[in-house]
Amino acid sequence: MATRGGGQAASKGKGKKGGKAERKRKPAGKCVKEWTTWAMKKAKVAAHWGFIPLIIVVGMNSEPKPQLFQLLSPV
Amino acid sequence: MGASVSHAAAPPPPPPVAPPPPAHPLGLAAVLPPQTEEKDGAAEKVDYMNLPCPVPFEEIQREALMSLKPELFEGMRFDFTKGLNQKFSLSHSVFMGSTEVPSQSMKTVKVPTAHYEFGANYLDPKMMLVGRILTDGRLNARVKWDLTDDLTLKINAQLTNEPHYSQGMFNFDYKGKDYRSQFQIGNNAFYGANYIQSVTPFLSLGTEIFWLGHQRKSGLGFAGRYNTPKWVGTAQVASTGVVALSYVQKVSEKVTLASDFMYNHMTRDVTASFGYDYILRQCRLRGKIDSSGCVAAFLEERLNMGVNFVLSAEIDHVKKDYKFGFGLTVGE
Repeated sequence: MATRGGGQAASKGKGKKGGKAERKRKPAGKCVKEWTTWAMKKAKVAAHWGFIPLIIVVGMNSEPKPQLFQLLSPV
Repeated sequence: MGASVSHAAAPPPPPPVAPPPPAHPLGLAAVLPPQTEEKDGAAEKVDYMNLPCPVPFEEIQREALMSLKPELFEGMRFDFTKGLNQKFSLSHSVFMGSTEVPSQSMKTVKVPTAHYEFGANYLDPKMMLVGRILTDGRLNARVKWDLTDDLTLKINAQLTNEPHYSQGMFNFDYKGKDYRSQFQIGNNAFYGANYIQSVTPFLSLGTEIFWLGHQRKSGLGFAGRYNTPKWVGTAQVASTGVVALSYVQKVSEKVTLASDFMYNHMTRDVTASFGYDYILRQCRLRGKIDSSGCVAAFLEERLNMGVNFVLSAEIDHVKKDYKFGFGLTVGE
């Protein structure tokens, strides 16, 4: 009985795995391409919003440290 | 009287002195300055193991570009640069004028634009970060980072809010003793590489290759640059059918003359231009005339310490397009 149960479970498991494998099978190249496109999109948004603040942070931390009001005042 | 004149006119007999064996014919030696230094220079053997490093491949025509292609504009421009620090500065720029929109027909289409541009610059010997953002959301970013003494990373990007209009390019530069090589990766699957090598102390030759993924186009090009302290000549040929030649002569400390020739085999387009560049104490004046009937001039006048007045004029007689601009630049 245990073996029959085991056998049934095994076949069920195999069936499930077979179906899942068919649905999930995608060529690895396409996966990589999708992920790189997603990463490039996120990187582009990050660069667009964050580049100027990055320069300001790097500049305000360089020696000699400028004051905050110098950043905002027009003089 | 007549007899004395005729006697005076008769040349005296030459003195019987044996001349020393001359290096040059005697007559020329009296006229030319002594050429001992030049002879020493020419006799000095060229050390091919110690050639100078050539200019980067994309700057091979930089003298001609600096003299012949100033940033002409139409309208009013005001730039203010405020330095907070030796390395860090902010810039504010206002522009009101027309910009040209590329159009198919011969008529130029101008669109009035006005924008404010905020910029931040960080300049370090090892790293340079320059960013400019406009009111319509466009970002212009430039990064130059010296990873090591010889390897440099350069990034150049224009990012926009509209999709598919952004552009970016990554360049990896390697500088050797007497050569430079560069590898480029850009958007639209653009890959490029170039290499330039000093062949003699004055001559450097280079080559480049690129591949454009989305349009399946590839190209190969060769370039050469001969520069002496007095003049620079460059030539570039590409498999895209473009031939570009340039010649720049430094007439004096203040005056430079430049000429440029470009031939595009695909579009049968030929352009030649001649220009001058006067770098004087208080101003810099550049003017040029084109074979396509275009005359341009650009003046930068230093009014005071850090205050520059800028005038730009471009007259295209063939297209009947007249562009005049003026502006003020405050700050370093």
